[in-house]
Amino acid sequence: MAEVHEVLLAGTDEHDLRRLDEYRAIGGYRGVEKARAMTSDALIEELQAANLRGRGGAGFPMGRKASLIDRKSPKPKYLVVNADESEPGAFKDREVMAKVPHRLIEGCLIAAHAIESTDVFIYIRGEYLTEYEILAAAVDEAREAGIFGDVTITVHRGAGAYICGEETALLESLEGKRGQPRPRPPFPPIQGLYAAPTQINNVCTIATVPMILEMGAAEFAKTGVPSSPGTAIFSVSGNVVRPGNYELDLGTPMRELIYEHAGGIAAGRELKAVIPGGSSVPALTPDQIDVPLDYDSLGAIGTFFGAASLIVVDDRCCMVQLALRSTKFYAHESCGKCTPCRVGTRWMVQILESIENGTATLADLELLDSVGDNILGKVLCALGEFAVYPVASYLDKWRDEFVAHIEHGGCPFEGSSSLDGIVAPSDQHAHTPAGQEALV
Amino acid sequence: MTFFDEVQEMRARYPEGSRSAVLPALRLAQERHGWLSRRAIEETADALELTPAYCYSIATFYDMLHLEPVGKHTIEVCTNLPCALCGAQQVLEAFESELGVRAGETTPDGEITLRAVECLGGCGYATVVAVDDRYRQHVRAETVPEILEELDG
Amino acid sequence: MSTELVRVTIDERDVHVPKGTGIVETALAAGVEIPVFCYEPRLGAPVGACRMCLVEVEGMPKLQTACTLTAQDGMVVKTARTSEKSAAGQKGTLEFLLVNHPLDCPVCDKGGECPLQDLTFRYGPGNTRMSYDKLTFEKPIPISPTIALDRERCILCYRCTRFSESVSEDLQLIAANRGALSVITTFEDLPYTGAFTGNVTELCPVGALLPTQYRFEGRPWEIVDVPTVCGLCPVGCNVNATVREGNVKRILSRNHPEIDEGWICDKGRFAFTHLRAEDRLAQPLQRVRRRGLEAISWEQALDEAERLLRAARGRIVTVLSGSETVEQAYALAKLLRVGLDSHQATLPEEISGGLDAYRLPLSAIRDADAVVVLGDVPVVERAPVVDLWVKAARRNGARILDDAGDPALAEAERVVLVWSGPGGRGGATVAQLAEKLGLAGREGCGAFYLPETPNGRGVADAWAACCDEEGAELESIGLLVVSGDEAAADENVRALAEQADATIVTSMFGGLSAGWADLVLPGTSYLERDGTFVNLEGRLQRLRRTVEPPCPDELEWIADLAARFGVDVAPYAAAVFAEVSDRVYGGLTFGEVGERAPLRGYPEAQEHVSRAALPATEPKARRGEIRLVAYKPLFSGAAVERVAELQFQRPQPELELSADDARRRKIATGDLVTVGSNGSAITLPARVNRRLRAGVARVAIEHANGLGGIVEIEKVAEEVTA
Repeated sequence: MAEVHEVLLAGTDEHDLRRLDEYRAIGGYRGVEKARAMTSDALIEELQAANLRGRGGAGFPMGRKASLIDRKSPKPKYLVVNADESEPGAFKDREVMAKVPHRLIEGCLIAAHAIESTDVFIYIRGEYLTEYEILAAAVDEAREAGIFGDVTITVHRGAGAYICGEETALLESLEGKRGQPRPRPPFPPIQGLYAAPTQINNVCTIATVPMILEMGAAEFAKTGVPSSPGTAIFSVSGNVVRPGNYELDLGTPMRELIYEHAGGIAAGRELKAVIPGGSSVPALTPDQIDVPLDYDSLGAIGTFFGAASLIVVDDRCCMVQLALRSTKFYAHESCGKCTPCRVGTRWMVQILESIENGTATLADLELLDSVGDNILGKVLCALGEFAVYPVASYLDKWRDEFVAHIEHGGCPFEGSSSLDGIVAPSDQHAHTPAGQEALV
Repeated sequence: MTFFDEVQEMRARYPEGSRSAVLPALRLAQERHGWLSRRAIEETADALELTPAYCYSIATFYDMLHLEPVGKHTIEVCTNLPCALCGAQQVLEAFESELGVRAGETTPDGEITLRAVECLGGCGYATVVAVDDRYRQHVRAETVPEILEELDG
Repeated sequence: MSTELVRVTIDERDVHVPKGTGIVETALAAGVEIPVFCYEPRLGAPVGACRMCLVEVEGMPKLQTACTLTAQDGMVVKTARTSEKSAAGQKGTLEFLLVNHPLDCPVCDKGGECPLQDLTFRYGPGNTRMSYDKLTFEKPIPISPTIALDRERCILCYRCTRFSESVSEDLQLIAANRGALSVITTFEDLPYTGAFTGNVTELCPVGALLPTQYRFEGRPWEIVDVPTVCGLCPVGCNVNATVREGNVKRILSRNHPEIDEGWICDKGRFAFTHLRAEDRLAQPLQRVRRRGLEAISWEQALDEAERLLRAARGRIVTVLSGSETVEQAYALAKLLRVGLDSHQATLPEEISGGLDAYRLPLSAIRDADAVVVLGDVPVVERAPVVDLWVKAARRNGARILDDAGDPALAEAERVVLVWSGPGGRGGATVAQLAEKLGLAGREGCGAFYLPETPNGRGVADAWAACCDEEGAELESIGLLVVSGDEAAADENVRALAEQADATIVTSMFGGLSAGWADLVLPGTSYLERDGTFVNLEGRLQRLRRTVEPPCPDELEWIADLAARFGVDVAPYAAAVFAEVSDRVYGGLTFGEVGERAPLRGYPEAQEHVSRAALPATEPKARRGEIRLVAYKPLFSGAAVERVAELQFQRPQPELELSADDARRRKIATGDLVTVGSNGSAITLPARVNRRLRAGVARVAIEHANGLGGIVEIEKVAEEVTA
């Protein structure tokens, strides 16, 4: 097993790092002091040298992002933390906020200093009530201790909409609008929150920043792999013996994570598929898991690092059911703004349902492919593509299962699939305003 | 504090003229009224100097805001992939049979609303069930009666 | 947008446009049409929602929406004409748009004039791959008595909701739900109410939002659109009247970018059915003792009119409405002033030429740095589209002020004054303020006065231009000539009629003249007249006869009558205009007025217009006192009263109070208050308006019961909750 560097969760086993005094006792908030002794230019340079890649999914270098902020703008500059963790399979931001909220707060203060911002918003998903309470209490404690200086940190709760994890939808939601993505350009560093320059980063990205200050960028850049320094918290879920969060160096082999840290496949079953970045990315077959867990290595085999969240699927699972349940989720979460996603995801659900219940023909497999193609690259944001990527990979790699459904006139698993009969909350969002009756 | 005053405090946290307080205000209205009734939305709109239509538009976008009455308690079972792979359907069915309602329904006494919901972010601790917004992890069909007993008590 | 020109290649054609020009417009400049649904520059920043305009841009791996891109130097764009990738994207989008669409074109009012139908015809698939259940909704839903919504036809381009949010800013028409289940709606069962709602029926690129008045009324190949100008308020929005078989079926906007930008108000759009009102007159009426008014022939009517005119022996007073065309006013003036030496005439309001030095197109408001709105009557009630320009100015960052002494004015380069309300003395007051602020000759600076009448200025010009003589003050009235419906509906005019020996009324509606007129001559509507109007900018515009009136028009019988008094009046607007124009409009010919009239200077006009005296000081409310402004609402007047489907738009009985005054009296919205002065009082529910300034309260005149000036306001009961 490779040496484990803990960055994000360091100290959480031994200390109650929800408490300011304990966080300070392990050296907490010293990074802010260091940062504030630097000019914002020097700090941005340091962050760029660290080559910390965004942990939200896209992997864009955090320091580069900061350098794009129009700091000369007469408008206020905003730092927004994306804590709207909603990707199925991901539960790492939640653990950081629950266990070491001060590390996130410290990261905010450093990043705000870099972009000369005094206004920080943390947008936390609405379902995370306990985590919100812990984070809000930590913010209060740190503020009262005088650590903030002239910075204001506002914790803003979402209200249940996956799309608000998309950065421009998050900004819309934070502005009190429907969380629908904006067209880009203009990009947030130029025109973001309240039309002002805005830096948006994921929780784990920001919470890594104090360690960069502590270690120095040069040292930090040596950790992990050269193209992706540092650690990541890998969320492992599904059919493994020990599901959970594992903070490991980037570049750790996937097989090691699944079979050593997570204890291998549960209940003596066989591995069938790994969806490595949260449910939105193309799945891997068992012969593809000898791959280092970093952005570039996963990209090279046709999938994404995504949210560093591995959903492990054993051999009981029907891949058509998996595709259907996954697509129902994305259709349910489609914001309704752009045509291909709004219409296409619902259409995909209909096609998959007919494959699952045996009323489809082989032509429907072509149709499913084609509808997916008409979504990919034509949508306003990535959500529509998130619906297509995994399904296209299931259709490609487990095509025989889809064909078997058609030839068999229904699901060949005959009630033995782990996903059999799974209910999706598709009945939400059909509210009809009262008192509106049709003209005759 | 009155609802109106509390909303004004919320508004003060955001830049003047912004609508950012609409989500916190709707959540507060929901806490006070149990759900976002017509009256609740009108009150929110008034306090925010927005129209009821605008607030309604926002409320219908977000899953956690209820446009229909809900029970005194809500039980929300995650049925997304990671939980589903680990038996979420059996957990949901256990709730259904114990409560005698289907997902999406409220018990006839108005006590409990049962919902199937999308990923709650507890995938490593399947099955996750939110009982009145507090997570219960590692829930199995066998532990369902326990949870319901706690609610009754 | 910068003035720097950049070179953009569209489908291998080079074109030079200012940097920052939208790619949709850039392509048009290159002669390439990029299809769009959601893109509509008048609604603000593009949203990139419908994905119809996908194009390939060199250097960008993914297809881009042309609507959200702007021209940069060296940009190479390939549309569906030259890029297979782009064509595939466009085809895919169109397929998606049609997946849930009911394809009920044969029974859809939009059929034949529908962008979705047109683009499907041009680019769409010939068959469908959708073999599953389409989304269905209850339909059509009347979202107001004037607009029906068909959610199945809706393609969710969000044009309508963007209009409601960022043009009219009423925030009433919204999107609800998420994803495939998203719908356009109002709140619960509330109708979409407001001055501008009907514009969404024109913005809608499919048959989802349609005017109920036009439902199943005509097919595009059976109709003709006649360009004219709305005559219901002083803005003079440019419109088309859709005519089928001699009837106006609907009114559409006809974008004049300086006046209305293609937005019209609901009164202008929906009030046209007054043409077919039940009490519309086609025959003249004469009072017969004890039997009231009886129909007579036109010949009898003109004989009777001649008799009454002669009998008055010059003691004739004319009351004008300010809604006559320039030509009608001139013809009437010629008959009465030249033919009968009767010069006495009144207009409903004072007209001043004082503003002529501060003329601007209305669109200049949008570009102002500061707009000062004075006068206390809501702008939207007097000149609705002006309100949209003021809102556009605010969105553009302009300061909207209510005090011409505001220090912020010192920093503003482009300052526009708007006077909306009583005490404006026909614009003289605001002209004086403009002079004081030194606005004359400054770029982008100017002033507007919002009159009550649609063509008061034109009527005053014409009346004055006809004759230089001035009659002596009359001691008694032999004959009162009441011209038009506004004058006929005025209670003061009816009081005047009681002092007159006889009264002639011209009116469209029998209801207005019953009981007090001796002779009633049927009038025409602005939609039935040829002629010209002068709007509040001072712009001369052309009205066109869109349909034949049910009676001879005013010019015809005035000409006939005039001949009986030896006066030569042509029965044609063009000929009458030629006479007026020589005296007022610098000899402009009728044909030159134009379909989209420019704002011209009228050097001759000023001499004919009364110069206003110094303004009398307003009865200023002292500290703690409240002055009640009783205003005439937009949705009022003879035409609106005759349109059943507009009644929901009429103002509720309520008193608007400023936040300050409400707090001092512990009054909240919904509380019942009494408003009293000089012993009379009314009781109304209160509504707190945070935009109203302290010391002013407002009520629609129809709920004011004659009250006005300084009033006492007291709370009598808390809001009654349901």
